[in-house]
Amino acid sequence: MTDAPTARTRVRRLPELGAYDRETIDPILDEAVYCHLAWVGGDGDPRVIPTIHVRIGDTLYVHGSAASSTLRAIKTGLPVAIAVTIVDGIQFARSMFEHSMSYRTVIVYGKAEEVTDAAELERLFDAITDHVAPGRAADARRPNADELRQTTFVKVPLTEASAKISAGFPDDAEADLDLDVWAGVMPLTLTPGEPLSDPDLKPGIATPDYVTNWRRPADPS
Amino acid sequence: MAQAPTERTQVHRHPERGEYDRETVHQVLDQALICTVAWVDEDGRPRALPTIHARIGDTLFLHGSRAARAWKAVAAGAEVCVTATVIDELVLARTTPHHSMNYRSAVVYGRAQEVTEETKLYAAAKAITRHVLPGREDDAAEPGDKDWRETLIVSMPIEEASAKVRTGPPMDDVQDLDLDVWAGTLPLRTIAGTATPSPDLKPGIDEPAYLPRSEQEFPRP
Repeated sequence: MTDAPTARTRVRRLPELGAYDRETIDPILDEAVYCHLAWVGGDGDPRVIPTIHVRIGDTLYVHGSAASSTLRAIKTGLPVAIAVTIVDGIQFARSMFEHSMSYRTVIVYGKAEEVTDAAELERLFDAITDHVAPGRAADARRPNADELRQTTFVKVPLTEASAKISAGFPDDAEADLDLDVWAGVMPLTLTPGEPLSDPDLKPGIATPDYVTNWRRPADPS
Repeated sequence: MAQAPTERTQVHRHPERGEYDRETVHQVLDQALICTVAWVDEDGRPRALPTIHARIGDTLFLHGSRAARAWKAVAAGAEVCVTATVIDELVLARTTPHHSMNYRSAVVYGRAQEVTEETKLYAAAKAITRHVLPGREDDAAEPGDKDWRETLIVSMPIEEASAKVRTGPPMDDVQDLDLDVWAGTLPLRTIAGTATPSPDLKPGIDEPAYLPRSEQEFPRP
C-alpha cells in the first residue's frame, strides 16, 4: 500500500481499510454513478451538492449548469472535496455498533479549475455521458455552441485522493459471539429495471442494447 | 410548495425542482441509505465524509468514532451540511446536454451537538440500526459502556433544509424530437443478494424474517 499523499487524505479511523494507489481509486470513481461535491460558501459554511463526475486519466471532472451558483463559485479556483461512495452490502453484527456496511469510498481534495478549451469541452460531454451510460455518446446528438456555453466543466487533479474499502464479515467482540442473534452479510447491487421509452419517442426506434444491458461496473471499453 | 427557509436552502437552478415541505425532506432522508457530511476544517477547506444517518421526527442523528477529528469537530458545534441523494432513474435524452437523472436529494444545514442523555442515546442507536433495515433494531444487542466510550452520537435539527426532486421523461428541445435516437428513462434499484451467515455464527440461529429475500429490492420506507 502506498502512503497517504497528505495529512487530510490519511485514513485515521480503521487505517487498515485505507488505500492511496490509483489502481484502487480509479475503478471506484469510474463505477460510482454520481458524487457529492463539497465546497465552502461565501459565508464560510460548508455546502454539498450531488452531481455527475467523470475521470479521464489523472483528472476528475464535474459539471453543472453555467448558471449554477456552485459551479460559478468553484470555477474560480475554490478548494473542493469530492466524495463518491458505493454500498456493496450490509454487515449484520450481533451488536448494534459493530454493524457496518461493505462499501468503497473515495475522497478527492483539490482546487477546481474551469475547462475553457472548446475541443476539450466537446470531449468531456461525450465522456460524462458515457460515464453514466457507456455507449450513449456515440448515439445522442452532441452539443451545439449555445449548449456548450450553458454548461461549465471544472477539473480537479487526482493528486490528493484516498480510498477506504470495507468488505467481509462483521467483527463482533469475542464476548458477543455467544449471543442468540443472527450475524452475516447481505450483498447489494445497483440493478437496472425495465427501460421506459419517452412518450414522444419517434415510432420504430428500438431500445439500444447499452440501455437494456446497463450494469455497474461497466464493461471495459 | 412551502418557501425556502433561508437563502442557502433556496434552489436556484431549476427552482421548480425545489421542495421545502417537511414531508419531502423527511422522505428523502429516510430513503437514502447513506449521506455525506461536510464541514470546514481549521484551514478553511471543505471536508466530506460518507456516513449513516437516521431521523426521529424533526431531528437528524449521526454517529461516528470519538477518535476521529471529523466527529470531534462536528460534536464541538462546527457548521455542517448533510446531503443525502437517491438516484431513481437515468434520463437519456436525444442530445447529450439534456441527459439528466431522476433523483431526490435533501440538504440539511446547521450545527450538531453531542447527545448525552441516556434514553436519547439508545433511541438514536436503535433508529440508526432501523434506518438501515427495519426489524434489526429489536434483534441486535444494544450498545454497552465500551461502545459508548468509542462512539458518539450527535443530533441536529432538520430546520434549515430543502429537497430537490426531478421526475419524468427527458426534456429535449422540440426541434430534436425528430432525431433517430432512442430516448427514455432507465430505473435503477438496489437489489439484495443472498445472505451469508458469519462463519462463527452460533448453530441453530435462523436467518431473520426481516432480511429481504435474494433478488428482492432492498426495502426502503
